[in-house]
Amino acid sequence: MNRTFDVIVVGGGHAGTEACLASARLGKKTLLLTHNIETLGQMSCNPAIGGIGKGHLVKEVDALGGAMAIATDHAGIQFRTLNASKGPAVRATRAQADRVLYRQAIRNILENQVNLSIFQQPVDDLIIENNRCVGVITQMGLRFYAKAIVLTAGTFLSGKIHVGKNNYSAGRAGDPPSIALAEKLRELPFRVDRLKTGTPPRIDGKTIDYSELLPQYGDEPMPVFSFMGKVEQHPQQLPCFITYTNEKTHEIILGSLSDSPMYSGAIEGVGPRYCPSIEDKVVRFSDKNAHQIFIEPEGLNTHEIYPNGISTSLPYECQEQFVRSIKGFENAQITRPGYAIEYDFFNPQDLKYSLQTKSIEGLFFAGQINGTTGYEEAAAQGILAGLNAALSADEKEAWYPTRDQAYIGVLVDDLITLGTQEPYRMFTSRAEYRLTLREDNADLRLTEKGYELGLVSEERWRTFCEKQEAIETEKQRLKSTWIHPNSHNVDVLSKIIGKEVTHEYNLLDLLNRPEISYEQLKVLLPENSGVSLEISEQIEVQLKYAGYIERQQLDIERMRNHEQTQLPDTLNYEKISGLSNEIVQKLSRLKPVTLGQAARIPGVTPAAISLLLVYLKKHKKSEGAVI
Amino acid sequence: MISSDGFQKDTIAAIATAPGRSSVGIIRISGKKTRLIAEKILGKLPEPRTVEYLSFQGEGKASLDMGIALFFPEPNSLTGEDVLELQGHGSPVVLDMVLRHVLKCGARMARPGEFSERAFLNDKMDLAQAEAVADLIESGSEQAARSALRSLQGEFSKRIEILLEQIIQIRMFVEAAIDFPEEEIDFLNDGQIKNQLSEILKQLKGIYTSANQGVLLKEGMTVVIAGEPNAGKSTLLNQLSGRESAIVTSIPGTTRDVMREYIQIDGLPLHIIDTAGLRETEDDIEKEGIKRAWCEIEKADLILLVVDGQKKEFQKAYEELRKKVHEKVPVTVLRNKIDLTTEEPAIIETQNKVVISISAKTGIGIELLKQHLKTQMGYVETPDDSFIARRRHLEALEQTEKALLRGQEQLLERKAGELLAEELRIAQQSLSQITGEFTNEDLLTKIFSSFCIGK
Repeated sequence: MNRTFDVIVVGGGHAGTEACLASARLGKKTLLLTHNIETLGQMSCNPAIGGIGKGHLVKEVDALGGAMAIATDHAGIQFRTLNASKGPAVRATRAQADRVLYRQAIRNILENQVNLSIFQQPVDDLIIENNRCVGVITQMGLRFYAKAIVLTAGTFLSGKIHVGKNNYSAGRAGDPPSIALAEKLRELPFRVDRLKTGTPPRIDGKTIDYSELLPQYGDEPMPVFSFMGKVEQHPQQLPCFITYTNEKTHEIILGSLSDSPMYSGAIEGVGPRYCPSIEDKVVRFSDKNAHQIFIEPEGLNTHEIYPNGISTSLPYECQEQFVRSIKGFENAQITRPGYAIEYDFFNPQDLKYSLQTKSIEGLFFAGQINGTTGYEEAAAQGILAGLNAALSADEKEAWYPTRDQAYIGVLVDDLITLGTQEPYRMFTSRAEYRLTLREDNADLRLTEKGYELGLVSEERWRTFCEKQEAIETEKQRLKSTWIHPNSHNVDVLSKIIGKEVTHEYNLLDLLNRPEISYEQLKVLLPENSGVSLEISEQIEVQLKYAGYIERQQLDIERMRNHEQTQLPDTLNYEKISGLSNEIVQKLSRLKPVTLGQAARIPGVTPAAISLLLVYLKKHKKSEGAVI
Repeated sequence: MISSDGFQKDTIAAIATAPGRSSVGIIRISGKKTRLIAEKILGKLPEPRTVEYLSFQGEGKASLDMGIALFFPEPNSLTGEDVLELQGHGSPVVLDMVLRHVLKCGARMARPGEFSERAFLNDKMDLAQAEAVADLIESGSEQAARSALRSLQGEFSKRIEILLEQIIQIRMFVEAAIDFPEEEIDFLNDGQIKNQLSEILKQLKGIYTSANQGVLLKEGMTVVIAGEPNAGKSTLLNQLSGRESAIVTSIPGTTRDVMREYIQIDGLPLHIIDTAGLRETEDDIEKEGIKRAWCEIEKADLILLVVDGQKKEFQKAYEELRKKVHEKVPVTVLRNKIDLTTEEPAIIETQNKVVISISAKTGIGIELLKQHLKTQMGYVETPDDSFIARRRHLEALEQTEKALLRGQEQLLERKAGELLAEELRIAQQSLSQITGEFTNEDLLTKIFSSFCIGK
């Protein structure tokens, strides 16, 4: 086997798979190193993809040619559109996925990707020469060399699992941890810290009494995830069920708090606030006497279920006891105990926008090791890191989306500018351009760029162009269809607008009105040529948001100058007169790339930005004088 | 959160002359919208680099001031952009009104040193001046921060804090409903948000009132001059207005009707009403005059009770008047005719009343009275530019209110939660110019500490 590649990706989770696929799509000779080929694309936590903010990320990864949405379309056993009643910008797709089908779909995509080799060996060390990462050393001492290395080690780095007062070193659910690699990485100049996350106990579905539980079915018509996806790809669909904890449950939990590693101080890592353990919920929200539990099927060919909402690190006996106090779970058999896991993560402020580390050339980090949580956040970083590793192997300039282009841009900018204190998860409230960054237009925002970069296949590009053309054609058709007081169907229009038609209207202008829908206007079109729902909805959304989008575009324009003003790496902030010490420290520590990024650092004032501008200008002028 | 002030895209405006009273006040405007603003304020675009004497128009073309307008097209201007200079009267109030209208027409208030910053960045200053520009930005920002702090004291500040709390609260509910739709916390549908929104809008109205410079300074304050016959009320009116508008004689009861006078003290509008001497009388005409006088007194913002300073006792007259007027209307006692008692002019403020010793005839102590009137109107003369700071704050409040109103419409008429959320974000962004940054992360922290989130 040849040991030299363009790009090596370490880790086969959601970040790693997207990274190696992206690199290979760019034509780079890519190696994926995983400790276990069987667990490529493993969903280690809850069996679901998407949700608010997360669904947005998945669609963006898809728009750039990624695998996650396609795999979900082949593995999803319940599809829903969340926030359907709250407006298109905040609508998001979510799917329960069959773990086995998902893994198979991902493996299938990986195995069929040209330029990609897969090899099973844990990585124990990095080969670093002159501050440049040039390769890796595996457990059995094999050396692999590449121009760029993407590290996606997930929660494996010095992983430590807690159940009650017991704790032991481990990786993800049953896998071994990467201790050797973690130790090596700790020797490098990265800031390392600990985070924590948890899972609930899994339950044998045969022992659950569903008779009195509320079922929750998927949506009709069934949503699809990928822009290339089809409903026919979806396997058989299953419902979820909902049950609740009760006061008895809470009593049991409160009774064994002293055995909880969370409360005894055994866990030092910080857990996510939006995904608290059940013991945390009971303690912090003591006024709530019931907490919701979603009973999610793990797959079509297993009875095991995932009770979403009761993640815990209480002792096993207590888990059994409180689970059985819950309605429907009276006779429940736990198949795997819940646990909390602590792991190392690297301060993402040590990264560049390309996700390359600032201190070591050619080394990229993606996924949970950057302090994020979630498959979707991992995939988003994976595709970006893989892309930029491939670009850097060609000595090309890095590419990353900005905050106004994609949630991926928000994710990366937040991480490298602000760092994170807890496992970082995407929320739509993190995006100031939320109305622009929608699921429905992820392809319109990104696919063209993706094609230009080489991430997007010809087939996807063709589909995209057809869609774009269909939108334009239909808009033109609406615009050129006029209804006037003498039209034969004028009565239909007067019914729609609720008053007599006294002058002529074209349908596009009518659709601009918030209260009028495409569905209503359809009958007024000359022939019902029937564009797809996707097209008509897209036109509708564009028109309904037009005013707001325009305003956001203005904001974006106004910021563009700042975003395009580069701050040289060598800038000595101490020499800029007028900046407060605090601001000098902040800027020196982070070394923002652009003025726009500098402005987003908390505490950096508009006056400081002005001072920076004046300084840069002065610098430029004096350089000019030298020449 | 991204700061809203993009560089060089905005048109900026500021009062260029030193704050406080002066004979001439200059407002400077620079940027792309300058021409448009000139059209709106002056009714025309002045000839480039030519002195033109024009009326500065406000809302509905009402003339706010007359003065000289100078237009410098880019690139041959101070900043290298289109620049308009409006040179009018130096009254802070008039300047403020003109500036306010300029802002309404599409400019934003310049940051400290921003004109110089633009000049420098557009190569209008040489390298040696870079340090000076930096100093200006730095010291200007510090000073502005100090003035802002001063402006933010008292009732105004308290109310802003409450307002901010309420906006954060409502955003927390709306954002939680959007980001966590499966958590049984759908506030958008339960009427709670609607009520909170109208409550916030009501609060905002209240803040305008407490930022009392607003109404009184714009509409002017109604001051009633009252007092016993021949105490010198009409002489005072003439002294204040600088005209012989009231007939002054030494015969008690000369003023039988109500005299009105509109005057300005350093540009502050005042409606002065001279009333008939308040006394028991048999004369029918005088009786009618006195009746009308009481009507005016009831509507006053301030009553000046003029007493003859030669008489030591005025407490009785004061108390009698106090009994008859609403407790919220302040009464200031003017001990007139100190030229006859050869006293020094003085202002004595005790817990419940103010007594000023003046001579309406000679003008001694009138300066003290004018200062007192200005203070009563809510105009605090300070050596710095806290007046400007206040304008900044009111500007921000207006933006906040507009966004909230649009948000309310989105919620009530379209049930568009995501657009309400957008307007609330903009509302808070505007308010953050007063209250400081509030990040997305802060918002999430609020959500997580208030709701049990996480399935």
